[in-house]
Amino acid sequence: MNAAPSTSENPLPNFDIVGVYRRILNDDSELTMPVAAIEALVEAIAESSVSTVAETLALLEHLTKVLKNSIANPISLSAGTDLFQRYLITTLNRPGALNLGPSDDFKIIRNHLISNGNIFVERAKQSREKIASFGTSFIREGATILTNGGSRVVGALLRRAAESSTMRFKVIYVISPTSTDAEGGRKTVADLRAHNVPVAVIPDSAVAFSLGKVDMVIVGAEGVVENGGIISRLGTYQIGLLAKSKGKPFYVVAESHKFVRLYLLNQFDLPIDQRILEFSITDDENATEDEGVADLNSGSSTSNKPKNSVLTATNAVDFTPPDLISGIITESGVLTPSAVSEELIKIWF
Amino acid sequence: MSESATKEATSASEVPIKTQDVQPTQAASDSKESKQSGSDAKNTKPTEGDAPKKLSPAELKKQKAAEKQARRAQQKAAGPAPSQQASQSKEGQKQQKGPKQGPKEDKSRPLPVRRRPSQSNAPISQAPRKESKIEARQVGLFFGHLYSQPRKHSMAGASKDVHPAILALGLQYSSYTICGSTARMVAMLLAFKALIASYQTPVGTSLSRHLIQLLGPQIEYLRDCRPYSITMGNAIRWLKDIIVKTDPSTPEADAKRDLLEEIDMFIRERVTAADKLIRELAVTKILPGDVILTYASSSIVEQTLLQAHHAGINFSVIVVDSKPLFEGRTLARKLANAGIKVRYFLITGASHAIKDASKVFLGAHAMMSNGRLYSRVGTALVSMLANAQSLPVIVLCESVKFTEKVALDSIVGNEVAPAEELLSEAERQNLLPLKNLLPKSHPANAEENNTEGAASAPSDVLKWIDGSKNLHHLQVLYDVTPAEYIDMIITEYGSLPPSSVPVVHRLSTNT
Repeated sequence: MNAAPSTSENPLPNFDIVGVYRRILNDDSELTMPVAAIEALVEAIAESSVSTVAETLALLEHLTKVLKNSIANPISLSAGTDLFQRYLITTLNRPGALNLGPSDDFKIIRNHLISNGNIFVERAKQSREKIASFGTSFIREGATILTNGGSRVVGALLRRAAESSTMRFKVIYVISPTSTDAEGGRKTVADLRAHNVPVAVIPDSAVAFSLGKVDMVIVGAEGVVENGGIISRLGTYQIGLLAKSKGKPFYVVAESHKFVRLYLLNQFDLPIDQRILEFSITDDENATEDEGVADLNSGSSTSNKPKNSVLTATNAVDFTPPDLISGIITESGVLTPSAVSEELIKIWF
Repeated sequence: MSESATKEATSASEVPIKTQDVQPTQAASDSKESKQSGSDAKNTKPTEGDAPKKLSPAELKKQKAAEKQARRAQQKAAGPAPSQQASQSKEGQKQQKGPKQGPKEDKSRPLPVRRRPSQSNAPISQAPRKESKIEARQVGLFFGHLYSQPRKHSMAGASKDVHPAILALGLQYSSYTICGSTARMVAMLLAFKALIASYQTPVGTSLSRHLIQLLGPQIEYLRDCRPYSITMGNAIRWLKDIIVKTDPSTPEADAKRDLLEEIDMFIRERVTAADKLIRELAVTKILPGDVILTYASSSIVEQTLLQAHHAGINFSVIVVDSKPLFEGRTLARKLANAGIKVRYFLITGASHAIKDASKVFLGAHAMMSNGRLYSRVGTALVSMLANAQSLPVIVLCESVKFTEKVALDSIVGNEVAPAEELLSEAERQNLLPLKNLLPKSHPANAEENNTEGAASAPSDVLKWIDGSKNLHHLQVLYDVTPAEYIDMIITEYGSLPPSSVPVVHRLSTNT
């Protein structure tokens, strides 16, 4: 490894990583947070003038930190940045493996990295289609599927199922009216209806009521954690619990770049600040209400949010433990929850 | 640890002298049998085989004399073996190794109280026949297969090749002076270092070949003192591997230095550094206000709790403990001395203790490849209670404790400790008044009549139990916790679910 003196606090002062990240995310509505983060990082490396391995890694670390600090819920994002960092470390430490000739020519390595980083992004985009094709085989003729949230992968899967076959199925879509991604959910509902799929929209509170008519549950995830549990939109955990108690299969669809090296023991072990349980002896809810609205606004705007911003019930997440999950459908196959840790270990060691 | 080591060593040093006293007197009576013992003597071949082939005539003579003595020592025991075989139908196959086990049984059996190796070889000659019958009767229950090798509490009968450091270590094992699978492994590696440091390759062999052979009797002796832990097995396998890989052309001094360095490195990487990583990871799981419940005593749990305390986290600890080792007492004391609020329960109160707890931290003896935890007996009970209360159960475990073995229950693989440990001296004293309730036919009664003069001692209680037909004391040391009860395993590779144990095991053994 090329030894180099450590770089200064901000190796690339002119590069606004958060801005680039938000632009990428806004430009392509199909992109997920981890992929956008990776794309932003690749762009930053291309922009920079790093000439050694140590510099590259230091730059990466710095940018990742800035990016994570700018977002209230960096779990999903950190999956992407960690993965990219890991990938870089393994390729940079073994330059000979790339067959690029003399390993001391860092420029070649850097170019290789940049092009490969793009491949990474491309692959991540394709993975959704792959998952959709895996997932459709789980849907049987006449099945009723319960889903929630505004997951794009779930949307892609259901659309694929609706388009590709003569199969008929029904969808029960759980949309919490206060949730921030209710809009994404409604879009998917409209899309499915346009494909002649009967969709019923129910609120959170009607899940148990509807469960008798449900054959399977499919949900998306923000992150898949090490023990095979998932971090997902608030309300997913209770759907999982109910599905388990009624013996309905509960499938998760998630790209493997959403696997996070994080181990949660329970709901309150999440590494982010969530203001959901707010005990109070007064009826005055204005204070929290205001913040909720503020969060909502800043989430959609491009302004940088301070780290200490908290998530309220409208955009919070919860943790669904692995024992409630029947299978995780990824682009590399359908995994049991216990296989997630194995996949992560493969990436990390 | 070291103080007690020297203590043990000095008390044990008397033994060899005594053994030598015994042997000449026995020699005459055994001399007839020693001819027929040709086949038996072959069983000691591993130790004999170690002896270098090319020696001066004088040395050769000395060596032969030593071998003869060893054979005789075995012969004493091998004498009654045939009758043993007849009476012990269940142990039939194991008795094929009869002469090997014979002397061990004889020497440890008549021992009334543990931890007194110097007494061990007093009544050798009469005991075996009677003991073997009792053995056969006891072996009825589920755990019968585990009784094949009674623990050894003395250095008597140890192979002459066993290094003094190993001899001392063995006694520390059998008396629980060194206890805990990691501590035992580290102590063993340190003893092996002493062995290697003082080792000289005999002429005509190579280091890699001869040293491996020399390890054989050491390991055998240690196993006789106490069955070895999974970690020890892993370390032994690793050590043999690097010894075999030693290039025969390297000069001996260099090869020895390399080996010593490798051992140091192993301890540093797999234990010291691993513990540090585990500690740091585990501390992040302790939140202010937590009540951490732990069972018995694990060094890594102790380190974690202390580190969390030093980091200023405000939490309290519940130590659940049980007979007969009471390992938790020391832990509770240490934590309390450090300023942590500690509550101490015996396992009988575990169901109450668990209600106040918020997390359960457990140490491990080993992690099985099916994700099950093999740990001090009682652990499974605690984890089951925790699981029923949906408390997170966290196992702290170095990857050196991972094994490719699987365990379905605690019966097939376990360690049986001497049953007399179950009753402390005080408890035996309390039982003495019950003496007149013993049945008339009880052998202890008959014996007592002969020696009426002697006041009944607490140790007699053990004889009642030994002689009793329907009472059998069982002390197993470990149990197996199902993987479903374990939420998380913290290793130096990070946190894992139990299902990832084989993956990490493969990873840690390949590199």
